[in-house]
Amino acid sequence: MSKIVVLGAGIAGHTAATHLRRKLSKEHEIIVVSPNRNYQWVPSNIWVGIGRMNPKDVIFPLEPLYKKSRIEYKQAKVSIFWPEGDLKSRKPFVEIEYVFGEKKGTKEKVEYDFLINATGPKLAFDQTEGLNPGTNKAYSVCTYDHAIHAAEGLKKVMKQAKTATEKINILIGTGHPKATCQGAAFEYILNVENEIRKAGLRDKFNITWISNEYELGDFGMDGMLLSYGNEQLSSKELIEMVFEDRGIDWILGAGVTKIDEGLCTYENLEGETKTISFDFAMLIPAFSGHGFKAFSQNGNDITEKLFKGFMIVDADYTPKPYEEWRVQDWPETYQNPSYKNIFAPGIAFAPPHAISKPRKSPNGRDIFPSPPRTGMPSGITAKLVADNIIHMIKNNTDEIHHRGSLGNMGAACVASAGFGFTKGSAIAITTFPIVPDYQKYPETHGRDIKKTFGEMGLAGHWVKHSLHHAFLWKAKMKPFWYLIPE
Amino acid sequence: MKKKITASQKRIMMNPFIQFFRFLALNIKILMVVALGHGSTRTKN
Ligand SMILES: Cc1cc2nc3c(=O)[nH]c(=O)nc-3n(C[C@H](O)[C@H](O)[C@H](O)COP(=O)(O)OP(=O)(O)OC[C@H]3O[C@@H](n4cnc5c(N)ncnc54)[C@H](O)[C@@H]3O)c2cc1C
Repeated sequence: MSKIVVLGAGIAGHTAATHLRRKLSKEHEIIVVSPNRNYQWVPSNIWVGIGRMNPKDVIFPLEPLYKKSRIEYKQAKVSIFWPEGDLKSRKPFVEIEYVFGEKKGTKEKVEYDFLINATGPKLAFDQTEGLNPGTNKAYSVCTYDHAIHAAEGLKKVMKQAKTATEKINILIGTGHPKATCQGAAFEYILNVENEIRKAGLRDKFNITWISNEYELGDFGMDGMLLSYGNEQLSSKELIEMVFEDRGIDWILGAGVTKIDEGLCTYENLEGETKTISFDFAMLIPAFSGHGFKAFSQNGNDITEKLFKGFMIVDADYTPKPYEEWRVQDWPETYQNPSYKNIFAPGIAFAPPHAISKPRKSPNGRDIFPSPPRTGMPSGITAKLVADNIIHMIKNNTDEIHHRGSLGNMGAACVASAGFGFTKGSAIAITTFPIVPDYQKYPETHGRDIKKTFGEMGLAGHWVKHSLHHAFLWKAKMKPFWYLIPE
Repeated sequence: MKKKITASQKRIMMNPFIQFFRFLALNIKILMVVALGHGSTRTKN
């Protein structure tokens, strides 16, 4: 009998737990530790943030589902890892603290045979002075409760616009010089613009994109060359075309350093410090590790064996210049090299380096996107980790059977550009591989041009909306859920 | 020269009849990219 502990119940943790439960007999214990009582389908928070969806449309409670599926659930957060056990117990364990109910504040040791760390990122608002969702007129859509506040804030400025004599300024993008997740901010700016236009208020607003990207369409993925209809188009040209069409201005190479009430301060790649005022902003914060600690059996601090901000896995972390980066640097088993029974899929693993070319301002400030790890690869890497653990248990082996590098994996990003059954639209972009392989595809910017395409229109919105329902069906483990790919 | 979305392209993008067929094609195209496997970059597979 094996005991598998999954930390986190986001896309990665929940995917791993449900696949493990489906494929392993009931004698094996599966325990999920996560502080949030609800599962949330994060991509649809965009629609909560414009008031087109209610939070209840994007969440469901985990406990009843886990109870029914015989997955043990602890509403708690992990803080310390003991991968060798301690002097009292030789079995590895994690220290957790309950965050809800009768046990709130109680600490517990949870032993494991296998550990899946799927705790995703810490939303590090504290790394940008004054950036705190719902204050200083700045909002976030990273969680459903942030998105509710954003929708209220947007509603307020739209009401204000009806009687305003001066233009209202909206600022959307990245809120830290090394923020990632440009895709989410991109979706949000297009949805906000669409809502404002539909309300007949477009001429009352200035809408500005602010980003740490060097060029539009970089998305933290070093940009893309796309098949677009019968031609080839760079992601820069595609996004420029969309922003021109929607009348959205842009500021690039901007490292946001401070937010005051309605005022954003940023440094640009020329080293200038500038400000831009706003009446409503949505800025993505930095994503960081959670600051977990790890100890050896005799109590020595071994945090650096497990964490490098995020969790250390089978990546090549040797520092090297951009020109020497290779796809082979990227992990493919998500296994910690020091403790072979610990894995970190989704956003929880430490990437070897960025994907976009690093850039510095003359003052030495790094201003470029950190590497994104979107929902699809989070699900795929989680399933892969679950399959490897199942293989190890069933065959009583240490051998790793399944591998999947972001350098040999495709992803689709269906970026919503407006909500509505007949008036909605989206920009569907696929990319293969996610991390560009400049050796394999030297002529097409590191990607297979047949599998890297862009398409715009109403069909994209229908795809995005169908995915919302399909992935919630899957997450709720409804009949044949496992047939829906990650 | 900067590219522009023309009025006729926009009409196609928002025409529900045309978009229904695009929807079917898009689902298949996406599935071909994401569901047809992934693998190693270090070993042959
Ligand atoms: C607004 C928005 C829109 C997006 N849209 C898309 C999209 O359209 N397509 C796409 O592919 N991707 C999209 N993404 C990215 C996608 O949401 C992420 O890639 C995905 O959520 C990552 O999954 P994860 O499980 O690794 O992390 P998370 O989803 O962040 O899950 C982490 C889990 O760990 C738990 N946790 C945190 N701390 C602890 C702790 N100490 N102990 C135990 N558990 C802990 C959390 O409660 C959570 O359950 C979007 C992201 C955002 C913010």
